[in-house]
Amino acid sequence: MALRARLLRREVLPFLASFVALALLALAIDGLLHLLNLLWIGRWLGIPGTLLIIGSTAYSLRKRKLIQRGHPARLLRWHEALAWLGSLLVLVHAGVHFNAILGWLAVWAMLINVGSGLTGKFLLDRSRRRLEEARQRMRAQGLTDEELADRLYWDSLTFDAVKQWRVVHFPITMAFTVLATAHIVAIFLFWGWK
Amino acid sequence: MKKKRPVLWIVIGLNLVVLVALAFVYPHLMVSPGALVKGHAELTTDCFACHAAWRGASSDQCIECHAVADVGLRTTKGVVIAKGTLTGTGTATGTVKGSFHQELIEQDCMACHSDHQGPKLTQRSRRPFSHVLLKEAIRGQCSSCHASPKDTVHRDLKLECGQCHGSRAWKPAHFEHALLDKPVLERCESCHNGPKDRLHRQVRGRCGTCHQTQAWKPATFDHDKYFVLDRDHQAPCETCHVNSDFSRYTCYNCHEHSQAKIRTEHAEEGIRNFENCMECHRDPGVEPGKEGGRDRKGRRGDD
Repeated sequence: MALRARLLRREVLPFLASFVALALLALAIDGLLHLLNLLWIGRWLGIPGTLLIIGSTAYSLRKRKLIQRGHPARLLRWHEALAWLGSLLVLVHAGVHFNAILGWLAVWAMLINVGSGLTGKFLLDRSRRRLEEARQRMRAQGLTDEELADRLYWDSLTFDAVKQWRVVHFPITMAFTVLATAHIVAIFLFWGWK
Repeated sequence: MKKKRPVLWIVIGLNLVVLVALAFVYPHLMVSPGALVKGHAELTTDCFACHAAWRGASSDQCIECHAVADVGLRTTKGVVIAKGTLTGTGTATGTVKGSFHQELIEQDCMACHSDHQGPKLTQRSRRPFSHVLLKEAIRGQCSSCHASPKDTVHRDLKLECGQCHGSRAWKPAHFEHALLDKPVLERCESCHNGPKDRLHRQVRGRCGTCHQTQAWKPATFDHDKYFVLDRDHQAPCETCHVNSDFSRYTCYNCHEHSQAKIRTEHAEEGIRNFENCMECHRDPGVEPGKEGGRDRKGRRGDD
């Protein structure tokens, strides 16, 4: 139906594309480093990656009024870009090698974190907007509330699901922070930086 | 107004506390980059046996158990290690003599050793053994770690390997024949197999007659210097060199040159000393006394 919000095609797929691009690009860079025998570079990418992710939290701090400066909308763009890029570097740094569990847990927490973040970015904000637009259009066409509810049933369902998912973004961030910190502390504690 | 979820936070918090606790209880699973080598299996959960907090693994920690003076000679329990050697091809028989660990220019265990096996992350930082790490004095004494091969080439040598071999690889070697004793030098077949082609099958002399030690080719022997093998003299070597004795020759194995005929021919000219044909007949295409031949003066009569 032309009037449907078509959340799946317009929002879910871009969300997945962004996530898949992260994974594929990480694999490509990792593969390239293997090919050029430059694995040592990958080992150090964890540091800039972590710094980028830390930098991306400016938006989170601004949103919670812990800092007063900065334009929230612009900070949100930076939050999205820096967190995605930082995650990419950390993912390359992690590679596809299973060594220590702690590092792996941190990586998985980070990926879930990115996923929940992208949920917010792609699904929630825009789907709310599209749902509202569709509702307005249908009302203008003179549909009854019952018909509206019927037509928008699946879209509403999707919307509620992603709303629930977004709620966990902050707790996941906390979990990721603790795991990443534990991994970083372990590295500082045991590695000789040679 | 945001909803607080104390239960969610408590569950997440507890999970994290458990994870951090696990990192202390099972550090080999939680933070280790890979399993330890077999000899250090008992240290699996004791990270600080090798790692100094915030400074990483250090040689000082290794030396606490592995005294440099004992490496390769005694185990950490004091048991003497049988002295094996490396063969010339680098195959270890037993353990390498302990001398090289004591003779390294720097005592940096981490430069060569990484105890965490498996991940390339730790392996790639390892430096392969290099003879450059040895002190200058010991570097030339290959026999302190290596046993030389016992084949015919090496059996009688009393030289350091470095005369012919590099320290990076046993082959290629740069052999110098001048280093051999004269009797050995003359017996090429004691080390080399001669070619089996038609020409060489007939030859039973010394290779040195035609070949040099620097290279087999080009062969240095020039038959024309002694006798020109023209169209009429394309005969098997055996025809002139009986029993493949190339130090002698005869012209009488050919129907053209019977002893009686030759004697008659030379008597007519008054030549009685005609045993060494080559003295006058070096080139069958040139008459002796003519250009390219040899003067017969002084050969007439008895001399």
